[in-house]
Amino acid sequence: MSPHSPLILLEQVTKDYRMGSEIVHALRGVDLSIEPNEYVAIMGPSGSGKSTLMNILGCLDWPTSGRYILDGTDVSSLDDAALARIRNQKIGFVFQTFNLLPRATALKNVELPLIYAGISADERRRRAQAALESVGLGDRLRHKPPELSGGQRQRVAIARALVTNPSIILADEPTGNLDSKTGAEIMALFERIWREGNTVILVTHEDDIARYARRIIRIRDGRIESDAPNSPETVEALTMQQ
Amino acid sequence: MIRRLAEYADVFISALESLRANPLRSLLTALGVTIGVAFVSLMGWALGSLDAAWESTLSTLGQDMLYVDKWNWAGGGNWRSVMNRKNITIDQAEEIARRVRAASMVYISADAWGKTVVRADKKASGLVIEGTMARFGLLPSTTLAEGRFFSEMEEQHAAAVAVIGDGVRSALFGNRSPLGETIRIEGRPFVVIGVMNKRGTLFTDFLDRTVYIPLPAFFGLYGRYSRSVTVAVKARSPEELGELRDDLRGIVRSVRMLSPDAPDDFAINEAQVFRDQVANIRMVIGMVGIGLTALSFLVGVIGITNVMFVAVVERTKEIGIRRAVGARRSSILAQFLAEAAMLCVAGALVGIALAGGLIAVAALLLRAQMEFLLPFVPLDVVALAVGSSICVGVIAGFVPALRAARLDPVEALRYEA
Repeated sequence: MSPHSPLILLEQVTKDYRMGSEIVHALRGVDLSIEPNEYVAIMGPSGSGKSTLMNILGCLDWPTSGRYILDGTDVSSLDDAALARIRNQKIGFVFQTFNLLPRATALKNVELPLIYAGISADERRRRAQAALESVGLGDRLRHKPPELSGGQRQRVAIARALVTNPSIILADEPTGNLDSKTGAEIMALFERIWREGNTVILVTHEDDIARYARRIIRIRDGRIESDAPNSPETVEALTMQQ
Repeated sequence: MIRRLAEYADVFISALESLRANPLRSLLTALGVTIGVAFVSLMGWALGSLDAAWESTLSTLGQDMLYVDKWNWAGGGNWRSVMNRKNITIDQAEEIARRVRAASMVYISADAWGKTVVRADKKASGLVIEGTMARFGLLPSTTLAEGRFFSEMEEQHAAAVAVIGDGVRSALFGNRSPLGETIRIEGRPFVVIGVMNKRGTLFTDFLDRTVYIPLPAFFGLYGRYSRSVTVAVKARSPEELGELRDDLRGIVRSVRMLSPDAPDDFAINEAQVFRDQVANIRMVIGMVGIGLTALSFLVGVIGITNVMFVAVVERTKEIGIRRAVGARRSSILAQFLAEAAMLCVAGALVGIALAGGLIAVAALLLRAQMEFLLPFVPLDVVALAVGSSICVGVIAGFVPALRAARLDPVEALRYEA
């Protein structure tokens, strides 16, 4: 990738849904560019189109029109199999409801993306264990999600997102189901992940969470309303509290 | 493709795990397949046993043997005209035997049916007394469990010796050796000098209930002209059987002095006459078996399709998760197909075990009378059963798996049970 091309480039991206007989314009022309190792929060009230934007950024959905260039590849016209491969290799998802397989151990959950990447069993085991250790769950490898606390579950999910060394960590309300203390711990973990060189995109409606990011993009009615850097002093103060 | 190996291994393991998670539901769902496979196994076993019976009939009667007889073994023909046939007399038989050139052996035998044999205070009835020649003892299919067959000398002197079938031995002597013991046929004493190996089959079960005595001794008991006799002719090779049959027919017609336009008033029997019977039984077993199997599999397909639809709904979230972390549509399709197939294979294994148990019991109870029954499910039938159950699974699972694969990942992730 040349130093001039951004990691993420959206050009006039729109997304229309059909809801019954009506057409909903969820995104009405979004231009956006995100560089490697940015820490971005995408904010907006419900119905603003931020979830739609996240689905498109995460290659879970296609734009109706416009272009999406991810890491030098135009992904707006890729077929399902190619998109699945992009999700596998370039994107690590973290969800509000954790979205772990309830019957699988932490280790198995973290191994899941590596299975679809075609990594051998030994290598999967090694990398999944390393990822779980890096989020502080080295002693919970064999636990299943129901045996873990909410914070621990979200750490497993973060380990799963990190295990493929993706280009982007895409977190959708990652603290929405956690108490504030645990939420702060999770945000500290994202801070560390970002400092280690990863690109982190948070999708949230909470100002408290968005404050951790270095850049805040506000969406309203399917358009970008504002896009501004976040003051680093606030962030320092926030992380000092941990 | 190598890249996908990890994925396929996972598909297999996760299919197994989801079976384990719902063992009772899985078992009930696959009941149709279980029963279907049990039917397939039983059918395969029955056909295998039939083949074994057929094989041993062929080897007992000899594939290279022709038997000139008044009766047609397989029945058929006009009953009245068959009844009116003249006996094949011993003189005719001897004349036939003299004239047959292209044969490696000829012997004459005569039978008396429904006879009773007495030994001390024991009695065995419903037996066949067969007068035959010492040559019969030289046939490769005539094997003795103990003792010996009578000699040409004993035959010519109408010696009062007998070789008894396995069934006769067990009826009269239990587990004791009958050699040297005296039995009475029509009140006359005969010394047992040999016991035949068990050789009765599905089609020739009377063989084990037969007592063999020298032909002249038989005539001594029942008279020389009272019965129609049989001329057994052994071809020099099985390939010459057809030619020999033609020769023999000409000879017998000439000996019986039939005019050229008269129909045969005798039959030339061979082991092959049982072939049609075997084919009929095969067809009945096959039709019933295939019908029951198809019905059970249909029930199985319906049940499995339903339960797979349920499974897809239950695991919508899981599908979303897998799609988010990189599963393609085809990965999801494969996963649910594998699960349906695994369900069927599990059902099939239960079915095979069930059939195996039934067969073991049946063989244990019936083998004394029907030794041709195989005591196990033939391996090729097991392979067929497992293979067809995989097909059933794939067919049953296809539509649900397709639905799973087509789920929109965004919708699937949002789904809450």
